[in-house]
Amino acid sequence: MNYIWAGMVCIGIFFSLINNTLPAFTDGLLDSCTRAVEFVIGLSGIMAVWCGIMKIAEKSGLIDAAARLVMPFIRYLFPKEHNAETIAIMLMSFMANIFGAGNSATVFSLKAMERLDAENHYSDTASDTMCMFLALNMSMIQLVPITVIKIRSQLGSSDPSSIIIPSILVGFLSMAASILVCKFFERRQSKP
Amino acid sequence: MSQFLSTLSYFFIPGILTLVIVYGLYKRVSIYDCFVDGAKDGLRSAVDIMPFIIAIFVGIEALVSSGAMKFFEGLLSPLFNFFHIPKELISLILLRPVSGSGSLVLMERIMADNGADSFAGTCAAIMVGTCETIFYVLALYFGVTAVKKMRHSFAAGLVGYIVSVLASVYICKFI
Repeated sequence: MNYIWAGMVCIGIFFSLINNTLPAFTDGLLDSCTRAVEFVIGLSGIMAVWCGIMKIAEKSGLIDAAARLVMPFIRYLFPKEHNAETIAIMLMSFMANIFGAGNSATVFSLKAMERLDAENHYSDTASDTMCMFLALNMSMIQLVPITVIKIRSQLGSSDPSSIIIPSILVGFLSMAASILVCKFFERRQSKP
Repeated sequence: MSQFLSTLSYFFIPGILTLVIVYGLYKRVSIYDCFVDGAKDGLRSAVDIMPFIIAIFVGIEALVSSGAMKFFEGLLSPLFNFFHIPKELISLILLRPVSGSGSLVLMERIMADNGADSFAGTCAAIMVGTCETIFYVLALYFGVTAVKKMRHSFAAGLVGYIVSVLASVYICKFI
């Protein structure tokens, strides 16, 4: 992470020097800080709501019930994960992704990552479960890309929602690819 | 089918809310107290992630506003030619992994320039609809945790991304 971030900033400065775009670079940087804070403030509202709702579901036992329901599926993808509550939060994050709930998905994923990190024995190295969770998160299918469809109809598409089925197809392919990569590395590293 | 799926998405959030609240009432949980309690946690997490989000926004902005992104576009264009990916899509493909809102704007521009139902326009729509901002996700989620070695998650995300880009283009050729 150290290197990635340093790389991004240094490459940026280097290119703005040779492209002579330093003023734009500086403006962009200051502007992006403001946008980041605005983004978090927007996010914190939704975060509070969903965490509140999750608490209710947790207390009422709904989360345990949901986790039990998807156990077989989870067993294959996350063989090392046993905490029902963590599984339920991961599940919520996937659901929010699938249904295109945008920032809500981010909220659940962050919560899940926090929990996975707490269960991780080597705190500076990602566990298999964390890797798989992230891989799924990054490639999860979305049933209805609502924003995209809205923009399509604004720009006069004859059938804005025609992209739904191809999108799901593409999503499945990329999800399968990500899962395979994860499983491949897990197997290779578990051998002595 | 498309219609059914849109309706399902539409009802997702209200549906979950109703389910949780009704189930909570049925189990006699003090719903309001729980909600407030959880919301407090949520706000605390929001403050916790703030520095990481600022760092990521700054990093991405550095790449985009300096013109570094444009340079990489030029560098990679032979590769995209080889896979018969239309050149209108190159900047979108490069921007998508780092910036969600940026790629939305770019998608809008591609559609406006080429037509919403054109090949490039449809491809762009599918790409934005299916791909994730993988660098952003990695940086944010691993930033929040103390993890420094992210192992194969980067490879998995990248392979998934490449597959979805190629699949978007080739599936588009059939519709």
